[in-house]
Amino acid sequence: MSQLQARFFTDNKKYVIDDVPFSIPAVSEITDLSNVINKLLEGKNGDHKHVEFDFLVQGQFLRSSLATHLETENISTEEVVEIEYVEKYTAPQPEECIMHDDWISSVEADSEWILTGSYDKTARIWSLEGKAVATVAGHTDVVKGVAWVKRDGLSSLLLTASLDQTVLLWEWSSERNKLRARHCCRGHAGSVDTISVDPTRSKFCSGSWDKMLKIWSAEMSEESNRPRKKQKTEQLGPTRTPLMTLSGHTEAVSSVLWMDTEELCSASWDHTIRLWDAETGSQKNMLTGSKVFNCISYSPLCHRLATGSTDRHVRLWDPRSKDGSLVLLSLTSHTGWVTAVRWSPSHEQQLISGSLDNLVKLWDTRSCKAPLYDLAAHEDKVLCADWTDCGLILSGGADNKLYTYRYSACLSDAGA
Amino acid sequence: MPFRPAFSRCFSWDIRNTVGNIPMEWYKDYPHIGYDLDGKKIFKPIRNKDELDEFLDKMENPDYWRTIHDKMTGTDVCLSDEQVDLVHRLQQGKFGDVNFNEYEPAIDFFSNEVMIHPVTNRPADKRSFIPSLIEKEKVGKLVHAIKMGWIKPRRPKETAPQYYDLWAKEDPNAILGRHKMHIPAPKMRLPGHEESYNPPPEYLLTDEERQVWEQQDPDERKLSFLPQKYLSLRAVPAFSRFIQERFERCLDLYLCPRQRKMRVNVNPEDLIPKLPRPRDLQPFPTLQSLVYHGHSSLIRSISISPSGQWLVSGSDDCTVRFWEVCTTRCLKTMEVGGPVKSVAWNPAPSISLVAVSYGENVILVNPGLGDRLICSATDQLISSYEEPEEVKDQQVQWAVPEGKAQEQGQRLILTHPKAVKQVSWHGRGDYLACVMPDDGSSLQVVIHQVSRRRTQNPFHRNKGAVQCVSFHPSRPYFLVATQRYVRVYNLIKQELTKKLMANCKWISSMAVHPGGDNVICGSYDCRLAWFDLDLSTKPYKVLRHHKKALRGVAYHKHYPLFASGSDDGTVIVCHGMVYNDLLQNPLIVPVKVLKGHIITHDLGVLDVAFHPTQPWVFSSGADGTVRLFT
Repeated sequence: MSQLQARFFTDNKKYVIDDVPFSIPAVSEITDLSNVINKLLEGKNGDHKHVEFDFLVQGQFLRSSLATHLETENISTEEVVEIEYVEKYTAPQPEECIMHDDWISSVEADSEWILTGSYDKTARIWSLEGKAVATVAGHTDVVKGVAWVKRDGLSSLLLTASLDQTVLLWEWSSERNKLRARHCCRGHAGSVDTISVDPTRSKFCSGSWDKMLKIWSAEMSEESNRPRKKQKTEQLGPTRTPLMTLSGHTEAVSSVLWMDTEELCSASWDHTIRLWDAETGSQKNMLTGSKVFNCISYSPLCHRLATGSTDRHVRLWDPRSKDGSLVLLSLTSHTGWVTAVRWSPSHEQQLISGSLDNLVKLWDTRSCKAPLYDLAAHEDKVLCADWTDCGLILSGGADNKLYTYRYSACLSDAGA
Repeated sequence: MPFRPAFSRCFSWDIRNTVGNIPMEWYKDYPHIGYDLDGKKIFKPIRNKDELDEFLDKMENPDYWRTIHDKMTGTDVCLSDEQVDLVHRLQQGKFGDVNFNEYEPAIDFFSNEVMIHPVTNRPADKRSFIPSLIEKEKVGKLVHAIKMGWIKPRRPKETAPQYYDLWAKEDPNAILGRHKMHIPAPKMRLPGHEESYNPPPEYLLTDEERQVWEQQDPDERKLSFLPQKYLSLRAVPAFSRFIQERFERCLDLYLCPRQRKMRVNVNPEDLIPKLPRPRDLQPFPTLQSLVYHGHSSLIRSISISPSGQWLVSGSDDCTVRFWEVCTTRCLKTMEVGGPVKSVAWNPAPSISLVAVSYGENVILVNPGLGDRLICSATDQLISSYEEPEEVKDQQVQWAVPEGKAQEQGQRLILTHPKAVKQVSWHGRGDYLACVMPDDGSSLQVVIHQVSRRRTQNPFHRNKGAVQCVSFHPSRPYFLVATQRYVRVYNLIKQELTKKLMANCKWISSMAVHPGGDNVICGSYDCRLAWFDLDLSTKPYKVLRHHKKALRGVAYHKHYPLFASGSDDGTVIVCHGMVYNDLLQNPLIVPVKVLKGHIITHDLGVLDVAFHPTQPWVFSSGADGTVRLFT
């Protein structure tokens, strides 16, 4: 088998070629195929510039020679092989390396500011350029989780969760750079490891080592009701109690997120993912795995859950499935526990994962054996990762460094 | 009754003495010897002969040899020549009477010779020639009985031959089978060059060899003959040993037992007991996941908090470190005054205390991790102690640390008279057992009650050096492991319940199954013994998988797993399923060898511990690391 028949097609109108089968050598690899397409495009369009392409055969990225790929995927070579080509995803460009004083346990960024939680008992606010803006100090123990609540002009609300069993709600005005703890949320009987703010930005949920999920209000209470005397004694603001407690997990809750305004999803050390109704507090569905879940992420674009466990796989789940909880796909390339996963906010097939093997990997679900890119910058365990709407990938770890990468799906979009 | 020879009755019957035929010893103590016909006592003759007189008499009296002692009268009688002669005759088996001739000529009166004159001349009776009526009657009766069938006439004698065909009943195949079993006689060796009448010269023996050959025993000789050279076959003499050689050959064939060797064809795989495949026994730890770096010297002991969130390790670099399990973060380092021998996290979830032993001290530390309420409640519990009115003199000093130590979390310091090797909590978390190994001493194990700050010595006497102790998880038992035995004491009845014989030289560690009926013991001679307390005091199973001494063993709380760590740097995880059914023995399958620790100073893994909820095992090693295998 030296030659095989292939037909190329693409969704991108810019690079359409004639829909005719070509005879191509079976040993050809991505670069060869890419050259073929470029030649064709040049023939069709005189001012075409060279573009690197990636190829998909039946929805799977081509990562080896065409013949071996078809053999492993069990695709007949007798018929014409349909090959889709897309513009090659460019590598994420490293931007900043932000030094911290201690391990970075959590990170969340919005369009302007980066919020990181650290093992030195503080959270920090950074500008996207890596300039230290403010230090959020108030916890008596390691900060385990951070989250932005909302932005009102120049003042923002943010949350920090800590090993000291509290969640603090802070108000930060970026203009005067003043921070004030507005509420101290007490109620957990274990370290609060994860927090998540609901899409309406009025509530948030926290998950703790005490096996509980608690839903709290993120609204600011009326200040005038507070006697002035008490304000002095309570530096961290008045204590807030949970609106609702969701119990059901038999082990520590490691990660929690809102799937939409009514639905909560939590992953736990008891090897389960549970879906909760946020209104009634009842459990709606349960997915059972075989390992401890470290982290979870949900993509509203493809309605999939991605989880990282205490093994080397990233697993994709369908939260809607009622009939048994089957893993849709496992992405295997890490060599250590997966501690962070995050779906791309804009691309329905891409996600990043961070692992204890010091690597952050960028995945496309169409290629489950090999990631698109390895981001090998960390010198120690990666503990957290985030992906902002504006295409910024962030990862922090036990080497006290927070790395940011600029990533745009395609070259052509980069300018936009 | 002494037995009397029969002849004495007829021989020495003396009518003068009327006592009868009785043993005369009965009259030994009396002056008389019997009674005469008139009923008068017969007195013993005065005998004053002693041994010397007897001897002199024997030497001098020519008639001594014919003098006998008459027991009935107690006198000495000298036999006459006739009497002596009679004795001699009787001894020779002759008749007593000299004149009796036993060989007198016999006269045959009733001979075959018909005499001319008959002895009687009576005519024959009539009844001798007429038929007898009585006989006729008897015959008639027999005939009648035979006719009536009462008497069966004698069966005719069977004339069948006495021999039979031995193989008649054998089927032809069996005969073939007999032939199949034929074992041919071993073949004789064919003659070689040395047997030739004209052997090559190298086969001929030299004079020295010949001398050696002659001096050897016939059995030792390599050759049973001397090779000899003849000019021609014609010159060869007759073989002198021919008959002997044939005889020896026959002896060989006859005496040498020939039998077919029965080889048992057993598939070696059938001999291996049927065990489930390790793959089917998931989950168990398979991979090294995390390494906790920080200690600078070997880590003797580790312990996990009951929640599974924290890990405490005690090292020879005189520090105790508290780690976050899931990130390997060292949250706290506490320096103590000596190499830490043992650490133990209080198993009660409502108490936040860690016992740390170094040197002669045991300190109780509140690590301040986990639930704040529980931490403060524990502090309150310890500080709320009130001194009792009557202070007893205890062997262990309880002291409350001050200043920096208190800030670090140390709450109580217990100073023992000897170095403490191991600490072990009771499941409820109030009692703490400490081991101070010292062979033969009465104070080797003490049990502290933390809430009342009391110390008791449960044993008046300890046999052997105590290695480790453990509380039973559910019953009031206390297990004490000495070098060779594990003794199970009932703390309520205060008695020895069981004594387990470990069959090993030196026990190093011990763990009790959470179900309470099984115990594993690791020993320095590479063995791990599993005891079923209900089954026997001998090990149910002994595993010899490690190449070097075992240092630590542990059971998992929920999963059917146990692990052992050894000086060869490996941790071996085994599946140990205990069934509720009492009839079913535990299933033990080794599932995984976990490697990772670097052997330092000939020491590998020093302690192993399981995570309380996950199938994860922690091991601490001499290389200063704690490793987590998942």
